[in-house]
Amino acid sequence: MNLIDIFGKIIAISHSNLEIASRINAILNIIAQDMPFDEAIVYTLDTDKRLTCRYKNDKSALFHLLNEYRSHIGEGIVGSVAQKRMPQSFTNKDVPPRLGCLFYPDLDGFIEKYKAFSFLPLSDDSYLYGVLFVGSSGKERLNDSEKVFLSMVAREIGGILRSNQLIISSKKRISELATLSELGKILSSNAIPRDILNNIAFIIAKASNASFVTIRLAHSFLKLDSQRFTYGDFESTSGEDVIRLEEESKKRGKTVSPRDLAPEGYKNTVVTSLYSAPLTSKGRFLGTVTIGESQTVSGPTVEENGRYLIETIANYISSGLENTLLTTKLKDVVSELNNAQKRLLEQETFRNLGEMTANIAHEIKNPLVIIGGFTKRLAKKVRLDHTENKYVEIILKEVARLEAILDEILNYVKESPMVFKECKVSDFIDELVYLFTSDQAWEKIEITREYDNDVPSVPCDDQQIKQVLINILMNAHDATHGTGTITIQTGRKIINDRPFASISISDTGGGIDPAIIDNIFNPFFTTKEKGTGLGLAISNKIVLNHGGHIQINNIVDKGATFIVYLPLKNNIIREELI
Amino acid sequence: MKKVKLLIVDDEENIRFLFKEELEEEGYEVDVASNGLDALEKIKNAVFDLVILDIKMPGMNGIQTLNEIKNMNKDLPVILCSAYGEFKQDFSSWASDGYVVKSADTKELKQTIKDILGIE
Repeated sequence: MNLIDIFGKIIAISHSNLEIASRINAILNIIAQDMPFDEAIVYTLDTDKRLTCRYKNDKSALFHLLNEYRSHIGEGIVGSVAQKRMPQSFTNKDVPPRLGCLFYPDLDGFIEKYKAFSFLPLSDDSYLYGVLFVGSSGKERLNDSEKVFLSMVAREIGGILRSNQLIISSKKRISELATLSELGKILSSNAIPRDILNNIAFIIAKASNASFVTIRLAHSFLKLDSQRFTYGDFESTSGEDVIRLEEESKKRGKTVSPRDLAPEGYKNTVVTSLYSAPLTSKGRFLGTVTIGESQTVSGPTVEENGRYLIETIANYISSGLENTLLTTKLKDVVSELNNAQKRLLEQETFRNLGEMTANIAHEIKNPLVIIGGFTKRLAKKVRLDHTENKYVEIILKEVARLEAILDEILNYVKESPMVFKECKVSDFIDELVYLFTSDQAWEKIEITREYDNDVPSVPCDDQQIKQVLINILMNAHDATHGTGTITIQTGRKIINDRPFASISISDTGGGIDPAIIDNIFNPFFTTKEKGTGLGLAISNKIVLNHGGHIQINNIVDKGATFIVYLPLKNNIIREELI
Repeated sequence: MKKVKLLIVDDEENIRFLFKEELEEEGYEVDVASNGLDALEKIKNAVFDLVILDIKMPGMNGIQTLNEIKNMNKDLPVILCSAYGEFKQDFSSWASDGYVVKSADTKELKQTIKDILGIE
C-alpha cells in the first residue's frame, strides 16, 4: 500500500466521530501494519508537564515498559523531542541506551532487536500535545518520504489531541459555569444558613464527582448548631486526614493535598484524592472546604482537576458565603431591631404618658389640697350635728384617698423597682440610634458613634438607663434644632479608685446658658415651651440610683456634652446583698 | 413674746390662703408671696424665721428660689412643699431643711415647722 493511500485511511479515521482513544489507537495500528512498524506509541503531555505513554498499536511490546515511567520535558529522547519540538531518528547503532532515560531499566535487552527509531513531536504553532514514537525491527533506517509521511501523521494526531483538549476544557468550563451558577443561586437564596451550606456541599460533590465534601466554618457566624456541613461520609474513612488538611490549609492560606504534606522524596508516590482549600474574604479566614474521593482514583489529570476545581469554587463561594451569612445575620438583627423599636416606642409613649400623668396629677393635687383643707377648716369653725359631721368625714376620707392615688402617680419613677442586668451599653445605644434615625425629625442630624470595645458589660436596669439616654438625646436634638451632629462615645474611667463605664453624648447645639446650668437637673426646671422639667431630673435620679453620676461639659456657642458614668462593679447590689 | 414669722411661697392663691389660715391658727405670724422674686423681695425687707416654698412655680422655680434665699441668708430655714413626693429624699442635697408633701392634712407641715424651729 502506498503512503498516499495509508494517509487517506488515517485522515478518514482522524475525522471520524470515534472517541479519541479509538481514533489514535486505530491510526497507530495502521502505521504499525501498513508501514510496517513494530511499535507505534503516543505520549501525551499532561497538565503536570510530564509525558505519559498513553496510546499504542495492538501489538506493541514496549508500551507496558515505557508506561512505567513518566518523563519530564527534556528527559530522555522523548523529553528532548518534546522540549525542542524537533523530530529525531535513530538506528540501533546510534540510539542512546534505554532511549536516553535512566528510569527505563526494563528496556535493556528489549530494544536491541529494533533497527530504526523515530520520535516526532505532536504540536501546532503554539502548543505541544505529545510525542509519537515508532520503532521498526525490519527497516534499517527511514527514508525521506517515510519521514515526511510520519510528520504528516504526527500533525494529524496532534490535531486530534488539540481538538480533544479544547472539547475537554470547554466541557470543563461549561460544567464549572453550571456549578458556579448553581452555587450562585443557592448563595442568593433566602434559605437558612444551614441549608445553604449543606446545599453547597452537595453541589460541589456532584460537580467534582467527589464522594464527600465538607465545609467547616472557622467560628460560629450565626446561631448555627454546628460548624461543619458535610455531604457524604468522610469520618469513617479519612476523618483524621481531613482535619489535618483543614488545619494545614488554614495555616498556609492555600489549597493543600496530602502530597503537599508528604516528606520530600515521597511526594511523587503519594496518591491524592483529597483537597482542602481555605475560604477567605477580605483577608479574613472564614473556614475550609474539603473534597475527597473514597476510592483512590490515581492519575495526574484527576488530581490537577481536583485542585483546580476546588480552588475555583473556594474563591467563588468565599465572598458569597460571607455575604449570605451576613445577610442572614442582618435579617435577624433587623427583625430584632424592629422589635426593639416597637418596645422603645411603647416605652417612649409610656414615658411621655408618665410625665404627662404626673403633670396632670400635680394640677389636680393643689385643688384637692385646697378642697380638703378648707373642708376641715369649715368643720372646725361651724358647729355641726352628727349627720353633718359624718358628711364632712366622708369628704375628708375621699380627699385623703384621692391624695394617696395621686401620690402614687407622682412617684412613678421611685415606684418602679430597678431590675439589674449585665448590659452592653453599645447595644442599647445602637438600638436608640436606630430608633431615632428612622424618625423624620432626626433626618438632618448626623449621629456618629465611637465605641471603646474594651468596655465590659455594665450592671444596670437597661430600661431605666435607656430612658436616661433618650432624655439626653432628645435634649441634644432640641438643642441642635434638628440640624447638626450628635456624637456618642463609650469609654472607661477610674474615679476615686472605682471603675466606671462612660457614655458621652455631645451635640453641636450651641451649649447651655451658663446662667441656668446649675438648674438643669432640678425638677420642673425647663427651657422648653412644652417641657415638664422632669426629664433630666428623673434621669439624674436614675443614674444616682445606679451609683453613678452625670457630668456636663459645656462649651458656650459650641455645644454640650453629657457624660453618664455608671459603676462597673455595682456597689448598690453588693450593699443590698450584705 | 415675739411671734415666729413664716413666709409661704406658692403660685396657687388658695394654697397660700389655706396654709396661712392653718398656720396663723397655730400662733404664727404669716406672710405670703406668689412667686420666687416676690419672696426674695420680702426676705430682703423683713426678718422671717422660716420659709415654706413650693417647688413648681412659673418663672423662678422653688429650687432656684431656695438657692437664692440661702445665698442671702444661709441660716434661714426653708421647707420645700410640693405635690410631688418623688424628690423627697433629695431635699438635703438642695440645702433645704425639710420636705413636706402637700396634703389637705396639714399635720405633717405643722410638725416639720416645729421640728426645725425647735418648738415643743
